[in-house]
Amino acid sequence: MFNYYLRLAWKSLWATPVVTLLMLIAIALGIGSAMGTLTIYHLMSADPIPEKSAQLFAVQLKSYDNKQSSWGMNDGYPLQITHQDAVNLSHSSVAVKQTPMVRTGFAVQTDNPDIAPILKSVRAANSDFFAMFNAPFAYGSAWDKNSDQQALEVTVIGAKLNQQLFGGGNNVGKILYFDQKAFRIVGILQAWQPTPQYYDVNNGAFRTGEQIFIPFALIASNKYRSWGNNNSYKNEEVNTFDEKLVSESHWIQYWVELKNPQQKNAYQAYLKNYISQQKQLGRFERDDASADLKNVTTWLTYNEVVSEDNNVLVGLSFLLLVVCLVNTVGLLLAKFLRRAPEVGVRRALGASQTQVFLQHLVEVSLLGLTGGLLGILLAQLGLWLLKNNYEQYQLLTDMDITMLLTAPVLAIGSSIIAGLYPAWKICRTQPAVYLKSQ
Amino acid sequence: MLKMQQINKIYRTELVETHALREFNLSVNEGEFVTVTGPSGSGKTTFLNIAGLLEEISQGQYFLDGVNVVGLNDKERSRLRNEKIGFIFQSFNLIPDLNLFENVDVPLRYRGFNAKERKRRIEQALEQVGLAARMKHLPAQLSGGQQQRVAIARALAGEPKFLLADEPTGNLDSLMARQVMELLKNINKQGTTIVMVTHDAALARCGQRNIQIVDGQVCDFSLYDKNPQASAFENPQTAASTTTTAASIA
Ligand SMILES: Nc1ncnc2c1ncn2[C@@H]1O[C@H](COP(=O)(O)OP(=O)(O)O)[C@@H](O)[C@H]1O
Ligand SMILES: [Mg+2]
Repeated sequence: MFNYYLRLAWKSLWATPVVTLLMLIAIALGIGSAMGTLTIYHLMSADPIPEKSAQLFAVQLKSYDNKQSSWGMNDGYPLQITHQDAVNLSHSSVAVKQTPMVRTGFAVQTDNPDIAPILKSVRAANSDFFAMFNAPFAYGSAWDKNSDQQALEVTVIGAKLNQQLFGGGNNVGKILYFDQKAFRIVGILQAWQPTPQYYDVNNGAFRTGEQIFIPFALIASNKYRSWGNNNSYKNEEVNTFDEKLVSESHWIQYWVELKNPQQKNAYQAYLKNYISQQKQLGRFERDDASADLKNVTTWLTYNEVVSEDNNVLVGLSFLLLVVCLVNTVGLLLAKFLRRAPEVGVRRALGASQTQVFLQHLVEVSLLGLTGGLLGILLAQLGLWLLKNNYEQYQLLTDMDITMLLTAPVLAIGSSIIAGLYPAWKICRTQPAVYLKSQ
Repeated sequence: MLKMQQINKIYRTELVETHALREFNLSVNEGEFVTVTGPSGSGKTTFLNIAGLLEEISQGQYFLDGVNVVGLNDKERSRLRNEKIGFIFQSFNLIPDLNLFENVDVPLRYRGFNAKERKRRIEQALEQVGLAARMKHLPAQLSGGQQQRVAIARALAGEPKFLLADEPTGNLDSLMARQVMELLKNINKQGTTIVMVTHDAALARCGQRNIQIVDGQVCDFSLYDKNPQASAFENPQTAASTTTTAASIA
């Protein structure tokens, strides 16, 4: 019977092409806008590391002086910390794992003279980085603690760069040249792209991440400059790189892993202690000088990775979907009721109410499925345009499997809801009324 | 075959109550060809629709082929209608988007026959009404008489025991009307019980028995059995006289 209903639905949709087209456009527009904004929302608000998001903390220090009433974010904490604080904190062993980090970059070359040097952004971090953020290795491993301390020229590269430079494969032990300095590859990651890229949102939470990682200590020894934000509250002379290293300029991100509340308390006590030590050295002048720890989810909200605008946009697009569906209900109702005489004949020839209802529901579903698919294409087109025009949305463009499965469910679901009333209405009509009108 | 006892049918609208059938009694035997006449608005169509299970009755008993149909649910009534009853309407009521083959196919689909059986029956039914060659035509491409023959084929394809026809020749010229009547007579000869509403006295004589409905009641049985020359309209019980009473507005 389903096939029969499907054939009737097909015929019926083609019998009134203009109405069908209008309904398809309405459904596609509604679904398209809802799916597009929902995809962005879904990816933006996803927990990038659900298994650990409550154990990873960004460290913030209210280190600025009394000249400012407040500086940094709304809560008075700057997003980043100074290089000297980063170095000092990393000497402690209170946190289970920790890493200072900063985005930098340089020209990359291989032994192969055919490959021209390419300019790449680079993340400088400690060896803990990979274990903290669950970066999966395809070959080799992170560098050792010794490399952190000695500022050895070793590197871990991403799968994409490995593919680009070597065509893939295990290239651990090979040499890469970073601004003409030789670095030994110790590890190669599997494809890895946390979305949003939570550990450094000030460089854009939805940019593709760095493909090169080097020990943080190299920042100082090789004088690598930050490719991210540098903020300073202080009017101080910073002419040389060495001056910058000891300046009050904030340009380093700092993350710690604290597995339980006890560890968190211990680390907070340690930071408090650190601040009073620094006060004795004449830094952290303010009475309310303090430290704050924010876990991954708090960090993302705090940085407004999902902006209020976005929530409004999702709301609006669903409103648009409702408007489109209400229109579709109207068109369907008109279309179905015009077919009442035919339904009367079918009832006279033995169709039950249920059969009439199902026939129309199949028609509505077919319409919904087609409109929904068009809507998904529309959403993809929108996302594609976004990707190609806005660098900061590069990671948002691909619908993940959840969204790809949600889309048809939403499409068929909402059109069935739209079609339920018209289908019910038509199946309830008294057949005799239409047969009598003669 | 068909037995109605003390049937009342009342239509209630906001302002009026129409007593379309009152204390209606009728029996039709298997194999009969009964014609129904009566003034306009007297309840003929209502009777046919009730007989065909398209409408529920307000009061009374109705046995169709031995089955008490009062209290059956929609699914059971539809099943019964599909298996036992064929409908023919004054305005043919073919589905305009479907070709002849597909139109005749409709009741067979609801019966649940497989494709082969449906094809066999459709071809046979269209053969019987002389339109087998035009299976792929749309209803609009046919004359009125041809359309009504398709409607008859559609009613016959399910091999119903019982054919209900509401003024089947009302929209046809006399030549075509004769052809359709010949067809119905043949069908009756092959064993199908037929009840046909008509206002044409000549056509009413084609049946074995004529009944007259006046004011929602059966007025005269076996008129032509006793007096084949008489016509229902020679001594008409004039004036369509459905009683409408003002319903109290609650
Ligand atoms: N669905 C309905 N609602 C209200 N009144 C109806 C309805 N159908 C028929 N009637 C009334 O019932 C009476 C009988 O109608 P009908 O059976 O169509 O008569 P006939 O076919 O003999 O001309 C008429 O008065 C008609 O107005
Ligand atoms: Mg009538």
